[in-house]
Amino acid sequence: MTNYSEDEARRRKEQDMTIAPGKLETSIAARMSEGVKIYGTGTAEVRALDGIDIGFEKARFTAIMGPSGSGKSTLLHALAGLDNLTSGTVYIGDVELGSLNDRKLTLLRRERVGFIFQAFNLIPTLSAEENITLPMDIAGTKPDREWFDQVVEILGLGDRLHHRPSELSGGQQQRVAAARALVSRPEIIFADEPSGNLDSKSGSELLEFMRTAVRELGQTIVMVTHDPVAASYANRVVFLADGKVVDQMDDPTTESVIDRMKTLGS
Amino acid sequence: MFRTAIKGLTANRLRMALTALSIVLGVAFVAGSFVFTDTINARFETLFTDVFAGVDATVRPDSESTNAQSFDESVLADVEAVEGVAVASGGVGGFAQMIDSSGEPIGGQGPPTLGFSWTEEPQLNSLTIADGNGTAPAGPTDVVIDVATSEAQGLTVGDAIDIQTIGGIDTFTITGLANFGTEDNLAGATLSAFELTRAQELFDLEGQLSAIEVLAEDGVEPEALVADISAAVPSGIEVVTGEQQTQEQLDAVTEGLGFLSTALLAFAGVAVFVGAFVIQNTFRITVAQRVRELALLRAIGATGSQVVRLVFVEAAIIAVVASAVGVVAGIGVAELIKTAMDAAGLGIPDGPLTVEIRTIVVSMIVGIGVTLVSALLPARRASAIPPVAAMSETSARATPKSLRTRSIVGTIVTAVGVAAMALGLILENSTSLSLVASGALSLFIGMSVLAPLIARPVARFLSAPIRGVTGKLARENTIRQPRRTASTASALMIGVALVAFTSIFAASISSSISDTLEESFPADLAFASTNFQVGVSPVAIDELRAQEEFEVVSAISAGLFEIDDAELNVAGVEPETVDSVYQLGSSIEMSELGDRLLVFEEALETNAWSVGETVTVVFNGVGEVPMEIGGTFTDATFAQYVISEDQFFTNIGDDQITIAFASLADGVTLEEGQAAADVALAEFPTIDVNTKSEQIAEAEAQVNQLVTLFTGLLSLALVIALLGIANTLALSIVERTREIGLLRAVGMVRTQIRQMVRWEALITAVFGALLGVAIGTGIGYGVVASLADDGLGSFALPAGQLLIWIVIAGVAGLIASIGPARKAAKLDVLKAISYE
Repeated sequence: MTNYSEDEARRRKEQDMTIAPGKLETSIAARMSEGVKIYGTGTAEVRALDGIDIGFEKARFTAIMGPSGSGKSTLLHALAGLDNLTSGTVYIGDVELGSLNDRKLTLLRRERVGFIFQAFNLIPTLSAEENITLPMDIAGTKPDREWFDQVVEILGLGDRLHHRPSELSGGQQQRVAAARALVSRPEIIFADEPSGNLDSKSGSELLEFMRTAVRELGQTIVMVTHDPVAASYANRVVFLADGKVVDQMDDPTTESVIDRMKTLGS
Repeated sequence: MFRTAIKGLTANRLRMALTALSIVLGVAFVAGSFVFTDTINARFETLFTDVFAGVDATVRPDSESTNAQSFDESVLADVEAVEGVAVASGGVGGFAQMIDSSGEPIGGQGPPTLGFSWTEEPQLNSLTIADGNGTAPAGPTDVVIDVATSEAQGLTVGDAIDIQTIGGIDTFTITGLANFGTEDNLAGATLSAFELTRAQELFDLEGQLSAIEVLAEDGVEPEALVADISAAVPSGIEVVTGEQQTQEQLDAVTEGLGFLSTALLAFAGVAVFVGAFVIQNTFRITVAQRVRELALLRAIGATGSQVVRLVFVEAAIIAVVASAVGVVAGIGVAELIKTAMDAAGLGIPDGPLTVEIRTIVVSMIVGIGVTLVSALLPARRASAIPPVAAMSETSARATPKSLRTRSIVGTIVTAVGVAAMALGLILENSTSLSLVASGALSLFIGMSVLAPLIARPVARFLSAPIRGVTGKLARENTIRQPRRTASTASALMIGVALVAFTSIFAASISSSISDTLEESFPADLAFASTNFQVGVSPVAIDELRAQEEFEVVSAISAGLFEIDDAELNVAGVEPETVDSVYQLGSSIEMSELGDRLLVFEEALETNAWSVGETVTVVFNGVGEVPMEIGGTFTDATFAQYVISEDQFFTNIGDDQITIAFASLADGVTLEEGQAAADVALAEFPTIDVNTKSEQIAEAEAQVNQLVTLFTGLLSLALVIALLGIANTLALSIVERTREIGLLRAVGMVRTQIRQMVRWEALITAVFGALLGVAIGTGIGYGVVASLADDGLGSFALPAGQLLIWIVIAGVAGLIASIGPARKAAKLDVLKAISYE
């Protein structure tokens, strides 16, 4: 793949913007162009992301897969505004993240992004309900009560709202995290191995719910996983290897993902 | 193990630096107190040895057998006649108050104002006049003053100066400026030396001598000389060697400053005690945070005791380094105290600081001992960590001991402390002070054990008015580990409790004084001496009586006598007039007192005496005097025993009038009365005229001065407690790295993170301050109540002051949170969420 200079990259991107701004704003929730992330220098240099161009359409559930060290977590962090790129650009909606200072980036995460991490998703001192409304409490806004009830209902957390995280099962904790990500109606939710720590039953419940959220509520979700079963819940799978996008697949099944992974691994 | 410990220390430099600092401060205070006390002793020893170097023997009135301050000057001839006496020189000494050009007394508010006769024999003269500083006094208007006073007042040879002695004020010409030994003066005392005959006149000692100093002929042993002279002088006179006299002078200085060194050591003790809390808390948190690491050590084969040793070695390394730094810093502290005393006019002879081996050893032992003892509990906890904790996430939280055990232990320790204090306050004997102190210690420890039990509700209550998510999170953070919060707050509690107690005690004294003045002293004006060496002169009393503006002038003397070998305070009053100035609540008509003794009601009960009984009173120098108990009285402001002024003057002396009161004649205004007093006392600048409100204000000012001093010293304990808050916060933040990362990820901006930490610090600090105020109030109430017999009648609660202390503690907590808050806000989000 050709390496563009930063100027070149920006110029190309501006062309994209001028060509079809309307289309970008309406159908793409987040995208990265020419994304490069380098750790270390000299011989210790690691190119975690090596020129990534990718976009995520709204109301779609995308899984990012790849072996360890393929750069999938780095990609997720960079897309979510938790990490910055060495070069290249990231857009959430129409906002370019590289130009934002820490405060603006934080506000953007608060208002437009939802998170589900693999573990340690919840503040142990707050109840489930308080954890769910945390982003809004931080922002000082009131949650939409009807929407809150609906989310809680779908996730089956109604009788768990006043429990502390330590009193919840792993599956319940992850569902609380999912509820927190949904309640503020973010433009996009990033999930990092959300079912990684769960037994298969709780895991499938969570993933089923995430699929429902996309299909019926129009939510956009980007999920990093190394589990083909989890990936099969997505509308699309993006395969990553050595910091590059190597393949994509629409409407995956567990089997098709496993087959594809085999060829990647070899 | 040692290497692992070193690694553990270097990995957490900031935390260790803070812990070490809390030890350094405590040890520095301990070492500083020792160095300062030793330095004073050493300096004065050198000075007195130097000054009395030439004196082989001193002849003086025997204080055991007489209360005379002088003897007939014919004794000088007796002494000179003794074989082996080379030179003998007689002199007199007394009170001499220099007056500055504006009529105000110079010095005398603390150090004495001494007058001497000039000794011609240089070897026997403690004063020396340096070249170019003039000459010895020769005529009746000549005076030599000390260099320090001359410099302070801008006086020089040839200048005129007014000096007040017993008889009144005279004007003198300065003929010379003298040094005391090699010093410019003697510990802040002002010195004036006159020609002998003139001095005898001034001190009302015509034909008398206060002392004779003797120089032995070569080869004569001082001890033998003392024996020979003793045989030659009349009874009532004693002879001591120069060495003995040096020692006596030194003892007097040591005793005088003993209060100071005791006080300094007490405050040092408080600082060390508070430091112990900080150390203990720090180690406990670090052990909790390293559970997995320590469990891993256990899993790979380390024994429980090796783990204990690991924690201990860490503690020991910090202890040794911090204590050593503390000792060095202590020398600086001593220098600071010395400078402060110099600035206050209490000069200490120049010279190097004395650092005894004992100082280093004791300070090191205190520092190391306290640190190790504080690390004991956390280390034992470390040994209880099961190896399996290395594997599991959940058991990483140490299971807290049952609240029941905690509340029982805490209650017992607290109760023991309260009981010991109560006993100490009731007993009023030599063990009282140590009982009260160790009781307070136990009380503080007990309360710190109990504090976690109330941390939850108190933190909830305190944070109730705080709005917003940062406040909520901060509240939950303080509540989630109540032991940690309580322990951190406890360190602050101690300092605040002592400060609160001081404020309450002082306020109670002030209010008692004003109550007493209002109730017991109906007089309009009071006259008291500003110089503690002299009372109000009887001459001054006569001058006041001559003013027709005053209807009654009545004086009260204060002194000592003995009953059954106990030294007791006794007051002398004027029976005919005392009623109109001081209502002592006598059971008999005061005018009928006569030569009888009046006893404070409760003292009569305690001693199981009855009115009409005769007790044997011993007056110093006079001997046994049988006195009939004439009645009782109820207001013991001055003393628990009262005799008539006649008896007092005869048996004790007429120079100890502490205070005199006057009531105005009909139709005379207060202003006219004050003007009349000013006229009457023109010759007595050391006598202060005060109206009742001025008296109250003056008493309060004195009390407040002491409060300021104590508070200043106690603020060190507050500083150490704040280090503790900063330390706990910093450690807690490390523990909550992932949580903070999560908060940042879901949209908390840095300002909010900082705010959250600040709230937590504020809640903890105010919690500690509230506990402190509560305990301080309790102790204050107990102490005031126990002193009700001694005239401390009313308990006063200075609510405003206490509130200010809580606010100060809160602000200080916020200051302590600056560092940790910044650290928390600066956490890298990505690193924080992936933090292990």
